Amino acid sequence: MRTSLDVLRRFVDLPADPAAARVLLDEVGLEVKRIDPDRPGVPVTLELLANRGDHHGHVGLAREVAGRTGGDVREPRCLDLVVGEGTHPVQVQTPLCPVYALTELRRTAEVGLDAEARALLEACGLKPVHPVVDATNVANLELGQPTHAFDADTLVGPVTVRLSRAGERAWPLFAPEPVDVPEGTVVIADDEKILALAGVIGCEESKTTAATTRILLEAAAFDPVAVRKASRALDVHTDSSARFERGADFTLPLRGAGRVAALLSAGWAVHGTTSLHASWADPARLVPFEPAACRAFLAVDEDDASLWARLGRYGFVREGAGVRVPAHRLWDVEHPADLYEEIAKSIGYDATPTTLPAIDMGAVPSHAEQVWDTAAEVLVGAGFYEVVTDGFHGRQLVEQLGFGEGHPLHAHVETANALDRAYSLLKNETLGQALEGVALNVRMKHDEIKAFERTRTFHPDPGAPNGVCTERTVLWAIAAGHERPRTWAGAAREIDAHLLAGLVDELALALRVPFAVSTAPGTHPLQSALHPGRQALVRQGDRVVGIVGEVHPAVVARFRLKRVRPVYLEIDGDALLAEPVRAVFAEPPRVPPVERDLAFTLPRGVEAAALCAALEAGAPDWLRRVAVTDLYAHVQDGAPVRTLTVTLTWANDEGDRTAEALNAATEQAAQAALAALGPRGVTLRA
Amino acid sequence: MSRPDVSALLEAFRADLAAAGDPEALEQVRRTHTGKASPLKAALKGLRDVPAEERPQVAAALNAAQATVEAELEAARLRAEEAALEARVAEEWQDLSMPGLAAPRGMRHPVSQVEAICLQTMRRLGFQLVEGPEVESAFYNFDALNIPEHHPARDMQDTFWVDGGLLLRSHTTTVQARVLEKHPPLPIKVVSAGRVYRNEAVDATHLAMFHQFEGIWVDRGLTFADLKGTLAFVARALFGADRRVRFKPKFYPYTEPSVGVDVSCGVCGGSGCDACHGAGWVTILGAGMVHPKVFTTFGYDPAEVSGIAFGFGTTRLAAQWTGITKVRSLYEPDLRTLTRLHRGA
Repeated sequence: MRTSLDVLRRFVDLPADPAAARVLLDEVGLEVKRIDPDRPGVPVTLELLANRGDHHGHVGLAREVAGRTGGDVREPRCLDLVVGEGTHPVQVQTPLCPVYALTELRRTAEVGLDAEARALLEACGLKPVHPVVDATNVANLELGQPTHAFDADTLVGPVTVRLSRAGERAWPLFAPEPVDVPEGTVVIADDEKILALAGVIGCEESKTTAATTRILLEAAAFDPVAVRKASRALDVHTDSSARFERGADFTLPLRGAGRVAALLSAGWAVHGTTSLHASWADPARLVPFEPAACRAFLAVDEDDASLWARLGRYGFVREGAGVRVPAHRLWDVEHPADLYEEIAKSIGYDATPTTLPAIDMGAVPSHAEQVWDTAAEVLVGAGFYEVVTDGFHGRQLVEQLGFGEGHPLHAHVETANALDRAYSLLKNETLGQALEGVALNVRMKHDEIKAFERTRTFHPDPGAPNGVCTERTVLWAIAAGHERPRTWAGAAREIDAHLLAGLVDELALALRVPFAVSTAPGTHPLQSALHPGRQALVRQGDRVVGIVGEVHPAVVARFRLKRVRPVYLEIDGDALLAEPVRAVFAEPPRVPPVERDLAFTLPRGVEAAALCAALEAGAPDWLRRVAVTDLYAHVQDGAPVRTLTVTLTWANDEGDRTAEALNAATEQAAQAALAALGPRGVTLRA
Repeated sequence: MSRPDVSALLEAFRADLAAAGDPEALEQVRRTHTGKASPLKAALKGLRDVPAEERPQVAAALNAAQATVEAELEAARLRAEEAALEARVAEEWQDLSMPGLAAPRGMRHPVSQVEAICLQTMRRLGFQLVEGPEVESAFYNFDALNIPEHHPARDMQDTFWVDGGLLLRSHTTTVQARVLEKHPPLPIKVVSAGRVYRNEAVDATHLAMFHQFEGIWVDRGLTFADLKGTLAFVARALFGADRRVRFKPKFYPYTEPSVGVDVSCGVCGGSGCDACHGAGWVTILGAGMVHPKVFTTFGYDPAEVSGIAFGFGTTRLAAQWTGITKVRSLYEPDLRTLTRLHRGA
C-alpha cells in the first residue's frame, strides 16, 4: 500500500523523524518496504498483513499504531445519513450481501475535491478521475470501506443484489468488451443489465461521467469468499476486492457513504433518505482472556490493568472474563492467542523477554543423513558437482528419450494448472534432465562434465496410500569429457562407463552395502536409453537397484549433443540406505603376499568377470584376489580380441609357500579357467 | 730393517686423496691406502723387524698415521656425498609454480551446504530431521494448517495441482503437520528440509521450485520468550554472533502470534544501504507460536501444550551467502556457475 507519513499523520501521531517512524511502523506489523525521506510528504510503501482487511484504510493503520503508542485515532468527518425508504427501490436477494445501503446524491455545483483529499489520492498513487469516483476512492483509502456510484439516470427498474444466471454477461469498467459472468456470482443489477460485480468492480453502462447529475451511491458489505471467487474467476483484482476478500466491517457501510457525501458536499447534495438492507447481526463475539495465562504465554510481567488497557487501545471491550471483539476484527480474532498477539504488539516484540534455549544433549544425524552425506562425499571426492534440478519435466523431454507409449516410463503424474508447459509432468526419471544439463554445458563449451544429484521421482500408482503416486529417491550421476581436466602433464583418459562402474564400487565400500555391477540378464526402465553394448545393471543381492552405462547414441543425437559421449549412473535411494554390513577386521600378515601374472586372450563377448570367476573357482583356497591389471585390444586372425593380464594374489601368511607350490597353484587356476572358457575361444598366452 | 717413512706415506696418501674427484676414486684411494696391500698395512706388518727399542715409537707413529688416513678419508667421503647430493638437488629442480596435479574435488550444491549448516545448528538444540512427501493433499498443505479454502493466504502460495486432487507441497510445513498427527512423545523437536513448489511464471528471480527449511518444537510450557530465544540463537548461529536481531509482527495462518525475524544488514551493519533497501535490516525467517487450531486439528489441547514453529528459504540463504542475485541460476545444471563458486572465475 502506498501512502505518505504526512497523510498517515492526519490519522495518528507519528515520530517526526522518518527513520523513527519507519521503525515504529515495522514494529507494529506495517512493514515499510520503501521510504523516501527526502521527498515531500515522505512517501512510504507498506506491506500489509494478508489477514488484516482493516489495514486497507488509514484509520485501520492508525489504530494499529495507536495500539502501540497509546495515541488517539483521528477519524475523518462523515455526514450522518438518515436511514429511510430511500429514493430508489432496492432488492437484496442473497445472504451473500449482509449489508446494502443506497443513497442518492444530486449535483449542485461543478466543484472538485479539496486539496487535502487530492493530496491523499496522490500519496496513494491514484490520479483524479471524476469528483465522485475520487471521493469513493478517498473514502475507501481513509476508512477501508469501498463504495460505488451508479449514474442514476442509466438505471432501469430497481437495484437488485442477486446471483448471476447462466449465460449472463457484464461489461466491467476498463474492459474492452462485455465478458461472461460465471453463474452464481453476486451481482448488482437492474432490470436490463448488470451494474456491478459485487465487491469487485462496477460496469461501463452505469458508470459516472462528466454529464452525470444524479448518482446512487452504493455502500455495502459482501461475503469474502463470494468476492474472492468472482475476482479470481474474472481475473479482476481491485482495491475493493482486496478489502472484501479479507472480511468487511459490517458496521462501516453507512459511515463510508457518509464520508463520500462529506467529501462531495461542496458540489453534491444528499437527496432523500438512505435505504439500508441489513441481514447482518453482530455476533457479539466474546474471547476469553486470562491475564495470568497471557503473562505466562508471553513471559511478561505486566499487571492485569495494564493488559486490559492495552487491549482497549485496539478496540477490544472488556466483558466479564473476556473481551468483546470489535466489528473490524471479527475476521481475525477468535482465540486467546490472538489477544496475546495484540498484547505483544502493544508492548513491542523486541521489548518482551527472551529465554535462550536450554543446553541440550544435541542430536546425531540419522542413518539416512549419514548415508547421503557419505555418498555425496564419494562423488565430490571423485570430482563431481552436486546439482539441483526441477521436480518437473515436459513431454518433449520424454520424446527425446524415446519413451513412447508402452514404455514403462511413458506414464506420468501430471500437473493440472502449470503456467509453463515445461512443468506439465512430474518427472519419473532423471536421465533427461541430466542430459539437458550436459547439453547446456556443452553449448557453453564446458565439455568436462561430472554432475550428480539426490532427487525424487514420481510414479503413477493407484495403489499408493495417496491413490495417485509413489515417490522414489534416486542418486544419479552423469559424466562426459575426461577423467581429469586437461593438464600440462598430458591428456587424461576419456570418460567411459568404467568410471561410473568404479564409483559403484566406491559407494559400496564407503556405505558398506553390497552393490554389484552386473551384466547378467535383468530389466531396468532406462535400459532402452543406454547403449546396448555398454550398460550394466547395479544389483544388490538378487534385486536390480540401478543402472550404469553410456547413453544410447540415438538419445545423444536427439539431445543434439556433439563431441561428448555421456555416461550415466542411477541407484535407487532405498538401496543406498540398506543396512550396512559390519566390517570384520583381519590382522594383515607379517609377510607380504606373492603374485603371479597370467595373460589370456578373450574373443569379443567373453567378459573379464567370467574369466576372474573361473580362475577363482579353479584355484586352491589360498588365492586371495584376482585383478585385471592390463588390457591389450588387438586383432587376431581377423577378429577383434582382448588380451587381459590377470594378477593372482596368493596368501603367504607364514612365508612358507615355495615357488613350486605357487607356480603349481597358478597353473591349476589357469587350467581351470581354460577348461571353463576354452570352448568359448579363450586361450592362455605364453 | 729401516724405520718406515711415515711422512712419505701420508704425503702419498694426501696426493691421491686430492686427486680423487668422485666417490669411486675416493673408494680406490681408501683401498690403496688402507687395504691389506697398502704401504701402511705393510709397514705395520714390518714392525716386528724394527729394533725393539724403537718399536714403540714407530708403532705409535704408524697408528697415528692410520688414524689420520681414516679420518681424512671419512671427511672426504662426507664432502663427496654432500657434493653429490648438492649436484642431484640442483639437477632435480622442479617448477612448482606450475599448476598442481591433484585430482580435483567437486562440490556440494550451495543449497545442500546451507541445509547442512542449518541442520548442524538445529542438532545442537536437539532437533532431528524428518522427511515427508512432495505430492501432498490439501489437508496437510492447507486445511490442517489453518488455511481453509478461499482464504487469502492461499494466494500467497499459488499451488500446483496434480492428478487426483493432490498438490505439490507449497511449503515444508506439511511435514510438521504429519509429525503432529503421529503424536510422538513430548518434546517434539523436528526440522524438515526440501523442495517446495509455487505455480509462478518463472524468470531469473522467480522459481516454480525452491528449497525451504522448517522446524517445530512442541512441549508443555513453551513461551513466546522461548520462541524469541531459539530464533535469536538460530539467527546468530547462521549469520554471526555480532549480528543484531529484531522481531516484528507477521501473519502466517499456522502460527499465532506470528513473527518475522530480521538481522542487521551484513553489508552496511545496520546503517542502511541498497542491499537492505535502506532499512538496515534483512528478513531471514518467519516463525511463531503454533496456532491453537493446528493443535486442535491433531487432537492436542492448546491449553496443555504450546509450540514454536519457524522456517526459512534455504534457496534465498544460499543466494545471499554466495552472492548470486538471480536465484534461477542455482537450479540450472550449469557447471560454470558451480565451478566459479568453488574455484573462482
